[in-house]
Amino acid sequence: MLDTRSQTLIIRINKLRQYQVNRLLLCTLTTLFLLSCQMNEKPLPIFGEREVVGTDTVYHTIAPFAFVDQDSSLVTNETFKDNIYVADFFFTSCRTICPIMKTQMLRVYNATAEMPDVKILSHTIDPEYDTVALLHDFANRLGAESNRWHFVTGVKDSIYKIAQTSYFATAMEDKSEPDGFIHSGAFLLLDKQQRIRGKYDGTKEEDVNRLIIDIKRLRRDEK
Amino acid sequence: MKSSRMLIFILTSILVWIVAACVPDNQNKSEDSVKFQQYYVEGERLYKVYCSNCHQSDGSGLGRLYPPLVRSDFMQKNLAEVICLIKYGRKGELWVNGVMYNQPMKGNPGLTELEVAEIATYIYNSWGNVHDRVEVAEASSILAACPDR
Ligand code: HEC
Repeated sequence: MLDTRSQTLIIRINKLRQYQVNRLLLCTLTTLFLLSCQMNEKPLPIFGEREVVGTDTVYHTIAPFAFVDQDSSLVTNETFKDNIYVADFFFTSCRTICPIMKTQMLRVYNATAEMPDVKILSHTIDPEYDTVALLHDFANRLGAESNRWHFVTGVKDSIYKIAQTSYFATAMEDKSEPDGFIHSGAFLLLDKQQRIRGKYDGTKEEDVNRLIIDIKRLRRDEK
Repeated sequence: MKSSRMLIFILTSILVWIVAACVPDNQNKSEDSVKFQQYYVEGERLYKVYCSNCHQSDGSGLGRLYPPLVRSDFMQKNLAEVICLIKYGRKGELWVNGVMYNQPMKGNPGLTELEVAEIATYIYNSWGNVHDRVEVAEASSILAACPDR
């Protein structure tokens, strides 16, 4: 028969043991969690072909371009110097995927409101109809400021060419389509060296959530 | 005694008469609500295909680009014009709840009169909007008189 004192002692020891087991469990879980974070944190991929020149790797970047935005300002590669940007292709009279893309791009625009080094570049693929004045009104009605979100128009063939060869996005005229064009709903994420670091479906909310997370990661990595 | 019996007889017959008058009426009503359901469900499906890209699935619209359908005073005042624009589109300035919109909306000439009535029933009875079913007969007579067909 144990006296009450040693009984409470045994209970205490048992509790302590339980506590240690719990701690061990917690520690393992935390380590596993941190490890998995570390694994997730590998840098974003770099898209396109690469060439090794001497000891350097040369990556695919956006070719030189010159377009005009909704304020009639010239927009070139220089406009995005030291900026991360998101690019897409659309036209204002499109009824199918463009309105959804614009709804989603507006989410990107709002999510990056406090990030002065993040911009958006939307190209019209119907420059004959989408004049500067029309794009101005469109951007304005969407609530987009021209210093953060450029809606550009230009020579049609230059736009199609840059879409296909620089951004790997589909954009072309097709009279058999209801609205006269075929184009992809892709959003492209570009880093400060104008290399493609991500491709997202601009008509899917989850994909655009991933884009917003990737923008934050890219900013951290490029600091 | 006799007169009270007479009274009961009269009252009962009135009651029977009222019940008899009500029954078919009730049947009519439930038939109507089934019709309403059919219109509404089909209207919702069509709305998702033809309209929600711009006006959003919750009818809220987008900025000052695509007007809202939620409690839109324009819709309340202009049923005929709305029926017409669903099929034939519209352009020019348009005011909804004090905000000016001005972006062409292309029509959907491929929609049948029934489909237009179904879409109208759906948008006029969703997101807090309340209205009767838009009958196909009503839609078809409005469509026949649209200004720019
Ligand atoms: C391409 C985008 C787009 C699509 C798709 C579209 N609309 Fe519209 N809708 C608009 C625009 C833009 C206006 C304003 C037209 C104007 O300025 O004259 C409008 C106006 C309206 C209005 C009147 C204004 C209001 O908000 O009350 C209604 C009702 C309406 N649309 C319903 C529909 C329905 C129903 C469909 C599907 C059959 C549809 N729309 C498809 C863009 C669209």
